Amino acid sequence: MSSQHKFKTLGSEEVEHTADRAFRVRGRNLAELLENAARTLVALDGEPSAGESVVRREIEIEGHDRETLLVNWLNEILYLEQTHHEFYDHFLLGNVTGNRLRAQLEGRRLEHSVTSIKAVTFHNLQIKETPDGLEATIVVDV
Amino acid sequence: MLSRDNFVRVQEFVWEIPPTFRDDMRVPARLYADEELLNTALTDNSITQLVNTSTLPGIIQYAVAMPDIHQGYGFPIGGVVATRLPHGVISPGGVGYDINCGVRLLISQATVEEVHPFLQEIASALFANCPSGVGAHGPLHLSDAELDEVLHEGSRSMLKRGYAEKEDLDHTEESGRIPGADSAYVSEHAHERGRRQLGSLGAGNHFIEVDRIAEVYDQAIAARLNICQDNIAVQIHCGSRGLGHQICEDYVSRFQQSVHDYGITLPDRELVSVPFDSDEGQEYFRAMACAANFAFANRQLLAHLIRQSFEQVLAGKIRNFCLQQVYDIAHNMAKIEEHEIGGHRLRLCVHRKGATRAFGPGSTVLPEDLRDIGQPVLIPGSMGTASYVLTGTTGAMQQTFGSTCHGAGRLMSRAKAKKVVRGEDLRHQLKNRGIVVRAGSMSGLAEEAPTAYKDVSRVVEVVHQAGIAKKIARLEPIAVVKG
Repeated sequence: MSSQHKFKTLGSEEVEHTADRAFRVRGRNLAELLENAARTLVALDGEPSAGESVVRREIEIEGHDRETLLVNWLNEILYLEQTHHEFYDHFLLGNVTGNRLRAQLEGRRLEHSVTSIKAVTFHNLQIKETPDGLEATIVVDV
Repeated sequence: MLSRDNFVRVQEFVWEIPPTFRDDMRVPARLYADEELLNTALTDNSITQLVNTSTLPGIIQYAVAMPDIHQGYGFPIGGVVATRLPHGVISPGGVGYDINCGVRLLISQATVEEVHPFLQEIASALFANCPSGVGAHGPLHLSDAELDEVLHEGSRSMLKRGYAEKEDLDHTEESGRIPGADSAYVSEHAHERGRRQLGSLGAGNHFIEVDRIAEVYDQAIAARLNICQDNIAVQIHCGSRGLGHQICEDYVSRFQQSVHDYGITLPDRELVSVPFDSDEGQEYFRAMACAANFAFANRQLLAHLIRQSFEQVLAGKIRNFCLQQVYDIAHNMAKIEEHEIGGHRLRLCVHRKGATRAFGPGSTVLPEDLRDIGQPVLIPGSMGTASYVLTGTTGAMQQTFGSTCHGAGRLMSRAKAKKVVRGEDLRHQLKNRGIVVRAGSMSGLAEEAPTAYKDVSRVVEVVHQAGIAKKIARLEPIAVVKG
């Protein structure tokens, strides 16, 4: 599935950015926004064609507000993918309480890391209320 | 929305937005550009980002942007901000994620004619020996103690291991070691990311390039730098890899709270900053210095791998293929420097985000053999286009806190570049121009297509004419290795 097609199924879209990359993501609530943001982030590079064995990781993340939680969550996914050479395509979020979350990541181990993304930034980041839930535009450094 | 009407032309190549433009500006915002580059800068959000940087507490004189300005996150790429110490702020987002991303130039006395028959082999050896890609591992697996030595000692740690010559360190900004580094302020995540990545190139716009010295503008200074027309040069463009990214992430995230504690209000959350002399400011500076030292060591180890690659291919075939270092410069860093402002010698924290230090003749921080000519400034172009060697000037010391541009500057988004350019087509076009390409990914190649960038010659002409750097030589690529 192409990145653009995957974005559509997630209700996300890539936004023009001169030097880096940006995407807009939505969710009916914070947990869904966080999950869709993770799925959109990993879709930016496209899905790797190969990979051995299923890997699962459990993580806990916190931030001093919702935006910090969102950025910390996405950066932790990049950290795990790059240090362990893994690719995650399932994000199972437990309860998101306050500004803290617990999640299980599922994916595959790869020979080489596939992500081209260095980091998720706070540039003009604001989680906005919309009639359908929540929306945020996220800029990533590549 | 900003327009040309918001600018006042203060010199031929200097445009200024006065602080009355927005209530939160503390100083004017200045752009170095000609008419065309000014118009280009107005096509994205880069000028708004420049204005945003003028709101940082403690900023002195003006926020500056170079002619290669383009939209970044927080600071524009090509931005320079100096804050007055001790109380002016330091901004981790202002330095950016690739701390001490920079350029190193090596030069050989071998000519293009001598090397050309072996160019394919050289490109393949460089691609095989210099690992690339965002998460790529380098040739070393460092223990905790060895990594800490790299973080504290920078290029010196590579000299100790036999991966450097003393002259390399003499011709590196800060001699390849920023003082004040303390790994106690570097997180376990950052250590983990750095442990396996020393001696790797990374991805994005990072590259190794073999060049021909195509034109010399100042024979006397070029000769002092051992730069001769038609000889071979090698450029390395990379930074502090995942370790630097993680240090920036850790402190930008932490300062989301700190900024409130210090009562600092900013127009963009990526600009979060704290007073330099605060505990938090000192901790970030000590961690940033670790990443900077890692980047110096990384480019040093890559230089060693490049020298090995040249030897592997050229030993016994041609003479004079040894690679001597011209200089190594940083273009994402916050540096503690002294500058003369309004007749007073002031201690400043100079943030350069996609900008190069360009200290002029007489600067006492330069090594003795360069002090009378000024610091070499290395300006890589986009892939397949020219690069330039310049030197720092007195004009840069007087106008821009000893700073100048860092490259061509992007014009087109990566997504758009991939829509209009096919990586395979680009590889063929470069091949037809005699440029050998080795790339990890075709889409990565398309993102870096020359059409996605401004004209580097135009950018360099502006800084030369404005007197904030002096043109010495032009380089043309003959082989490119990309992540």
